[in-house]
Amino acid sequence: MAVETERARGEGRAPRPAAPAEDGRLLSTAARAVVVAALALLLAALLNAQNIYKSVYNQPDGLQRDIALAFAGPLREVSMALRLDRPRAWVESAIGREHATIDTEIVLPPPPVETTPTPASGSGSSPGSAPTGEGPSGPAAPTKPAKPRFTPENTMRLWVAGDSLVITPGYAVYRALGQNDAVEIVGDVDGRVATGLARPDVFNWFRHVAEQVRKKKIDTVVFNFGANDDHGDMTGLPKGVSLDGFGEPKWTREYARRVGGLMDTASQAGAFVVWLGLPVTRDAAQSRRFRTINRIVSAESRKRSGAVAFVDMYAMLSDDDGKFAPYLPDASGQLEKVRADDGVHLERAGGDIVARQVVREVRRVYDLWSWRNDDAGSG
Amino acid sequence: MLFPTATFAIFFMIVLPLSWLLMPSVHRWRPFIIAASFVFYSWWDWRFVLLLAGSILWNQLLAVRIHRAAGQPSLSRSLLILAVGGNLAILGYFKYYDFFVSSTQNLLTLVGIDLPLEVRTLVLPVGISFYTFMGISYVVDTYRGDTVPTTLEKFAVYLSFFPHLVAGPIVRPNELIPQFDSPRSARRVDTSRAFYLIAAGLFKKVVISSYLASNIVDEVFANPSQHSSLEILIAIYAYAVQIYADFSGYTDIAIGIALLLGFKFPQNFDSPYAAVSLQDFWRRWHMTLSRWLRDYLYIPLGGSRRGAAIAYRNLMLTMLIGGLWHGAGWTFVVWGGIHGVGLCIERWRRTRPGASTEELSVGAAGLAWRRLLTFHVVCFAWIFFRADTFGVAWEMITGLFTGWGEPSPLVTGGVLLAIAVGIGSQYLPARVPRVVLATFSRLNVVAQAAVLALSLMVTQALGPQDVAPFIYFQF
Repeated sequence: MAVETERARGEGRAPRPAAPAEDGRLLSTAARAVVVAALALLLAALLNAQNIYKSVYNQPDGLQRDIALAFAGPLREVSMALRLDRPRAWVESAIGREHATIDTEIVLPPPPVETTPTPASGSGSSPGSAPTGEGPSGPAAPTKPAKPRFTPENTMRLWVAGDSLVITPGYAVYRALGQNDAVEIVGDVDGRVATGLARPDVFNWFRHVAEQVRKKKIDTVVFNFGANDDHGDMTGLPKGVSLDGFGEPKWTREYARRVGGLMDTASQAGAFVVWLGLPVTRDAAQSRRFRTINRIVSAESRKRSGAVAFVDMYAMLSDDDGKFAPYLPDASGQLEKVRADDGVHLERAGGDIVARQVVREVRRVYDLWSWRNDDAGSG
Repeated sequence: MLFPTATFAIFFMIVLPLSWLLMPSVHRWRPFIIAASFVFYSWWDWRFVLLLAGSILWNQLLAVRIHRAAGQPSLSRSLLILAVGGNLAILGYFKYYDFFVSSTQNLLTLVGIDLPLEVRTLVLPVGISFYTFMGISYVVDTYRGDTVPTTLEKFAVYLSFFPHLVAGPIVRPNELIPQFDSPRSARRVDTSRAFYLIAAGLFKKVVISSYLASNIVDEVFANPSQHSSLEILIAIYAYAVQIYADFSGYTDIAIGIALLLGFKFPQNFDSPYAAVSLQDFWRRWHMTLSRWLRDYLYIPLGGSRRGAAIAYRNLMLTMLIGGLWHGAGWTFVVWGGIHGVGLCIERWRRTRPGASTEELSVGAAGLAWRRLLTFHVVCFAWIFFRADTFGVAWEMITGLFTGWGEPSPLVTGGVLLAIAVGIGSQYLPARVPRVVLATFSRLNVVAQAAVLALSLMVTQALGPQDVAPFIYFQF
């Protein structure tokens, strides 16, 4: 420290620990500042050890995670031994928040018997196997597709969930369908940053979706996952299952199991699933990885034709050459910014483009508009 | 590298002791702090470092030339234009290129001309607006004779010093460069104020700002037509508090970190929502930008020296350009325009006959009314600042009148409490933090560390899992 250097120069006495400053507070030495800062961070680390461990655990595999775990593990042990994890737990319970735990259990329903896609189906969904909603009647007979009908008295309950990519198109879907009195929006767009299906330890979507679709009695759910899954790492693997790298056969099989399982979780609870594919991005390598994930999702949704619709955001947001397009013309030919500056997320206008396709998919399976004729007739 | 992250904490705990160890010899300290600042900046993208280095070299080269050409007015003026033009060209290219191209193309489409201009989708280097403005300060101050060019090394420290690098405050050369001349005193570190600013800044950012963003602001601004008038009104107030907590929180942390390293930055916020006029607001909000705009834009345009009409024009131009500085979009220009019109009206009221007598007779009720009015004009302008499009802004404004009595589930006790804390803190008597700091400064080392650790724990526990980047990074 400079203080010690000055002492070494032979000032002859130890430096005063503090000097008077304005407003009645004492100034300090640099050495003391460093000690207080270091001690405060150490104590704060012990008080937050459980959460530090969880966030380190949730990092992608690699040297950085291994080193961090080597520190975070013992830190957590010490914190628990000294009961220093308790104050944070008290604060969290006071505000109704769960204490940090790591949950990698994936519970999925058994896969359905594969259905044959209806030829008339434009993009994979078919009214013939529309889900059993809470309000409307169940699936229509394949020979005479009759769409389940919703009215202001018997609303279609709509929910949007996924990672951060779902937020903008999710709100656009809410805007597009929310004006219809036969549609009931159930909760805010459930967009959770840096989550996905590969790492249930970060956030367990399988558990969350299963709880939400039952609790909220969802009729239509819009999903978008995968933007944080474009790597070879997965947690929550079944016993005996190993991975062989992103996009390789074993990885693809496990990821497809999770995608299909989530689709089944929602559809077996009575929800029609609209799954937004991943968009083209500014980074060509990332776009290739996103196409790999899109192929898996598209294949799984085709297997569940009628219960699940796949919306191809990639094509929708590409330019004429299939490349990343930050601006796209609207209906009047005016250029609108459709992509955020990070080259991945969407701007509002981009969300609106996606929402229009989502509305088309919902229209294929549900009747949300004919109730207006009832009103006109009775009025 | 964001301030409220473990990565930054580790980085700073390496830099802080090393900085003080090297401080007695400033010629060893300066290269060290340049290297540390470049590491800090490269954490976003190593390519940004090239731009920062280029900006340092460009401004230093031109400042030295301008100084040498002091006796030749036309040459020094040409060099100044080149220097400022270079800075603005870089800023314009990275920040405004796509905005101008799409605006031009849309204008041409309206008149039936189809000109295929290409947008570039450039990544905006973090903090470019801030260090570009500081570079301009340096060359303009040199041209005016207010400062003498320093060494390349000291200028590099000035421009890249990591506490202010990405979101200010915008520190003037004369305020900071002299602090790099000699070692800072290791016996007179204002640690109590530094720790207070860091802890308060983290709380504002991680708890208040993030809570309001995720619990009401983002949802209402994403979809105003789905919300009641009460929700819209509270979301506007909440955004006013969110942006204040976010930006002042950042600068509090920046000032605190600089203090721990032994350096003083100017104050950047002074209870802006207690302002009694828009002029007063701009003396309290982002104070270092306000004075930059005044000294390097409003006054060079002629200020108020050339008559009333020119003064109004200059006021409007300054605020419109200030608006555009905040973001490449027309909504930001409108935001600046609202403030410009408000400032012009205030100027007209101040300069009309009998105004000074009227000012003297303003009582407590009058001041309270002015505070309320100023706050609501500022909130109205924030609608355009936050809205993605004019359509959203219009939906917000019309929604204020059309949905009263509807259910307002987003207006919760937590949201109202966060707004009350954000606004109420600006009316806190100055002696309260003074007493807190004086008491804290007399605690022993362990007690100080324990208080700080507890405040960090509470901030972490109350905040969200992920902390969004600071709003002002994009500017």
